[in-house]
Amino acid sequence: MKKILVANRGEIAIRVMKTARKMGIKTVAIYSTADRQSPHVQMADEAVLIGEAPSNQSYLLGEKIIEVAKRLNVDGIHPGYGFLSENAEFAELAEKNNIIFIGPKSKAIKIMGSKLAAKDAVKAYDIPMVPGTEEAITDIGEAKKIAKDIGFPILIKASAGGGGKGMRVVEKESEFESQMNRAISEATSAFGDGSVFIEKYVTSPRHIEIQVMADSHGNIVHLFERECSIQRRHQKVVEEAPSSVLTPELRARMGKAAVKVAQACDYLGAGTVEFLLDENLNFYFLEMNTRLQVEHPVTEMITGVDLVELQIRVARGEKLPISQEDLKIKGHAMELRVYAEDPLNDFLPSVGHLDVYKIPVGKNIRVDNGFEEGMDIPIYYDPMLAKLITYGNTREEAIELMLEAITQYRVEGVETTLPFGTFVFEHDAFRSGNFDTHFVKNYYSPETLKQQFDVEAKIAATIALKKYLEDRTILRLPII
Amino acid sequence: MQEKIDTLNKKLSKANLGGGQHRIDKQHEKKKLTARERVDYLMDEGSFEEIGILVTHRTTDFDMDKEKYYGDGVITGYGTINGRLVYIFAQDFTVFGGALSDTHAEKICKVMDLAVKVGAPMIGLNDSGGARIQEGVRSLGGYADIFYRNVQASGVIPQISAIMGPCAGGAVYSPAMTDFTMMVEGTSYMFVTGPNVVKTVTNETVTSEELGGASTHASKSGVAHVTSSNDIECLEDLKRLLSYLPQNNQKAPKNLPFKLKDEVRDVLSDIIPDSANKPYDMHSVINGIIDDNSFYEIHKDYAENMIVGFSRIGGRSVGIIANQPMFLAGVLDVNSSKKAARFTRFCDCFNIPLLVLVDVPGFLPGTDQEWRGIIVHGAKLLYALSEATVPRVTVITRKAYGGAYDVMNSKHIGADLNFAWPSAEIAVMGAKGASEIIFKKEIQASDNPKEKLAEKEAEYAEKFANPYRAAQRGFIDEVILPKDTRRKLIKAFSMLQHKEVTLPKRKHGNIPL
Amino acid sequence: MNAKSTNVKHTISINNSEDFQVSQDELDSFDAIESSKNKWQVLHHEKPLEAELIDSNFKSRTYKVKVNNNQYNVHINSPLDALVKELGFEIGANKQILDIKAPMPGLILDVHVKVGQEVDENDPLLLLEAMKMENVIVSPRAGTIKSITVMKGNAVDKNQLLIEFES
Repeated sequence: MKKILVANRGEIAIRVMKTARKMGIKTVAIYSTADRQSPHVQMADEAVLIGEAPSNQSYLLGEKIIEVAKRLNVDGIHPGYGFLSENAEFAELAEKNNIIFIGPKSKAIKIMGSKLAAKDAVKAYDIPMVPGTEEAITDIGEAKKIAKDIGFPILIKASAGGGGKGMRVVEKESEFESQMNRAISEATSAFGDGSVFIEKYVTSPRHIEIQVMADSHGNIVHLFERECSIQRRHQKVVEEAPSSVLTPELRARMGKAAVKVAQACDYLGAGTVEFLLDENLNFYFLEMNTRLQVEHPVTEMITGVDLVELQIRVARGEKLPISQEDLKIKGHAMELRVYAEDPLNDFLPSVGHLDVYKIPVGKNIRVDNGFEEGMDIPIYYDPMLAKLITYGNTREEAIELMLEAITQYRVEGVETTLPFGTFVFEHDAFRSGNFDTHFVKNYYSPETLKQQFDVEAKIAATIALKKYLEDRTILRLPII
Repeated sequence: MQEKIDTLNKKLSKANLGGGQHRIDKQHEKKKLTARERVDYLMDEGSFEEIGILVTHRTTDFDMDKEKYYGDGVITGYGTINGRLVYIFAQDFTVFGGALSDTHAEKICKVMDLAVKVGAPMIGLNDSGGARIQEGVRSLGGYADIFYRNVQASGVIPQISAIMGPCAGGAVYSPAMTDFTMMVEGTSYMFVTGPNVVKTVTNETVTSEELGGASTHASKSGVAHVTSSNDIECLEDLKRLLSYLPQNNQKAPKNLPFKLKDEVRDVLSDIIPDSANKPYDMHSVINGIIDDNSFYEIHKDYAENMIVGFSRIGGRSVGIIANQPMFLAGVLDVNSSKKAARFTRFCDCFNIPLLVLVDVPGFLPGTDQEWRGIIVHGAKLLYALSEATVPRVTVITRKAYGGAYDVMNSKHIGADLNFAWPSAEIAVMGAKGASEIIFKKEIQASDNPKEKLAEKEAEYAEKFANPYRAAQRGFIDEVILPKDTRRKLIKAFSMLQHKEVTLPKRKHGNIPL
Repeated sequence: MNAKSTNVKHTISINNSEDFQVSQDELDSFDAIESSKNKWQVLHHEKPLEAELIDSNFKSRTYKVKVNNNQYNVHINSPLDALVKELGFEIGANKQILDIKAPMPGLILDVHVKVGQEVDENDPLLLLEAMKMENVIVSPRAGTIKSITVMKGNAVDKNQLLIEFES
């Protein structure tokens, strides 16, 4: 492989190019009109304008991207995450045009892209799953019977839903019918499809995922877990590796399960198997993400492995250079996603111009960054500015370094999740490791952050007042 | 010593309270700031130095010696506004209703004398019930002392009056002789005789507000140059006005730092409508030419067929005089001529270059205008522009007809640079009127006079309704693209900045008043 | 000479919104050391913090101070400011809102009004999408729409003119 096209933008495009450069591979960037200024354009060996700002007119134009790749004699395409990364047709199109898609085969993408197909595929491998219906149902009587078998609380989920829409938790049997009716009518009006799944509701779940890597010679390894329970708006914002609750024994079991899932779909490359972990440390398979994850750096930090490098190597047919036995966890890593969002205002995007933008630097601090001072944040894409990653010998060390790094991170012009990060990393529940996906709901409110701001504001006010009173004593003469 | 220091401090804190807290509260109830608050707000923090804080009146009649207040109803002194030295008096309504005594007048005269000697602007904040009647003729003398100094200072230092309360009787003549009179809406009024006297003499019933409120003087009489909705706005307006002016007549206004770019303004290309009969807002032309948001309009609601005001062009302070086609087609009449003439003379006094934007169909005809003396008032503008020695630049955007062409800063009366847009029509009169006269016989003889007139009108328009005849003759220096106007003007005013004119020796000219 | 009392409470606005009162006592007991030019080491309730004076403008009484990582724009209110507020004085009080400008860059998803239409305060005028969030722009006043300078599907810049009202 001599030249890779990175079909993505922002920090992940830069991240991929860094490794490619290290491996002596040339890179091609694509960009939309809104991204002309972006650093990923400058960093690539070649950069091609792919279309207008909206992603469906640029970064999602699979055919056009393939054309560019052919024209520039590209032999591999790295899709990053998001955009076309889990698009089986795009992977197929690349395959057809003799360009290596750096990721799994389209078949694996397809299987794991469908909840039902995924469940089907892993059935034979004895992977624990959240108890529930295997197929979508509409019959209330049958549903009730199933619910009783599973045991309350249960969760009713619209089969066509997503992002929390059409979901209902039923605490006890007496409420079941009315909740079920409402879920069906909600699902019908929202998605035009009233069928629902019923499954066990895990009350205090943690989101734990396992990184796997497979080559085309039948070798699959797992690179341990990432803890991703700190979420807002059902999206991860803080991640760490390893998890503070997994025992080596449980880690091994979950790792094995993840490897089996990968086997089930004949996986190739880097993938992530997501599990739900309940308060009794029972784990359940959720789904598999057939791409490089946003939060992959924490795994790299604790294993010393360059995941993108491995992706490229196995994509070009090489054998995995590491075996499961070689892999050891060393130290602890934290990641904070720095979004242009206002934590005081329901994490709504904070659009604007980066008047000041300075990222922290230092030993064990890594920033996967896609922006520069003076840039506008395009309104068309995900508002993530960067990922701030810290590493320490212990969890405590990583947390402390993270807090330090946050204070060095200077952003003016937009609000960011940095102050929220401070809140999380200083919070007793997080520091003790005793938290779940309800962390934000349970502990966070804008007021808690505001109180902190108020203290600071008062200090700022007092310093300003001191300075003002000092200024007032100075004798001033007219300008002539 | 400490005891003596305490005595001084006691006196000073008493002086700071003016007529006492009770009267201060009353002033606030009337939505007025006190004199001291106004001075504090206007001046740069900590810059104000008061002169004569311990002055009291000397009247003994009517038991007046039993009621004395430090300062005697006026705060006087000096300080800075945006770093620039200014002198100020602020009448204190909380002390005897701001009534003017001879000591009160002496204090004002003292700072006026200093302002002239030093050469810095004089600001008066008026809020006074009138003369201190108990003093009789001594108070009248005090007024006249101020009037005399207003005139001596006129054209030497900028004088600005803000009327922030009552100003009646003889008192009105001091503001009237300063350069600018500002008024606060709702809380200020000015008149020579109040509603009561008016009722007795003419049997007219009128309120103070109707007779002499801010809006009356802003729109009907033209006495007020600027009106503001409250005290704070008035003081901010005053600060802004001052920013365009120099310290005195020996100095030029300070240029603001300005970073030049290409200075092409495409927006100017689309302003002139296709039809000569369609109006447009001359403000759009002004805003297209000047630095962003820099226009400070004077006499906004008076004689609206003429626009006058200060602006910045490439950071330079420039006075603008412009016909306004939106009102009466931008015609010259008595009021608009007076308005523009007064503004011209102010700019000329204080070395502020002039830009004249022309779209004028002529003078307003009719008995009303003739009987009111349009001849002599029109002559004021002609005179004022002719005698002005500051840099003078003209841009003709559309019509420049007849005598009004001459008056509006034509080459012939001493303008330094005369530009015209391609849309300019420089002629003796409009095409229709001209054809009716020139081709009178031919039209009468025609079978179809209407058609003939139209034909001749077109012929005339083709020949004369353009800037090229004037350009051939050199009356127009250059026909320019509208979008380049700002570029051209920035260069023109820069080129003219050291213009000097030596005048023949004379006491003063005799402007037709 | 203004002989002002020294024991006044200073009202201070932060970032144009919150008002703080700082008393002379608080000022006196404030534990901060200017470690280097414009950099301060603060001890607040025995907790050390770092602060930096980034910008100061005595004339407008505005100061920019950074505490930890956050910047605060501080305005020291004078006693006059409070009075001005109390008397309801506002600059431009008699000037009506004549136009609506885009508060942020985005896409116009929908235009709810027509030229000539009369609207009340808080009537929805436009739907502006920024980063996939839909923002309803409501009318700040009652009035008549004079012109609409954008169409559905237009991308707009911050401060771009969207709607003008009749005056």
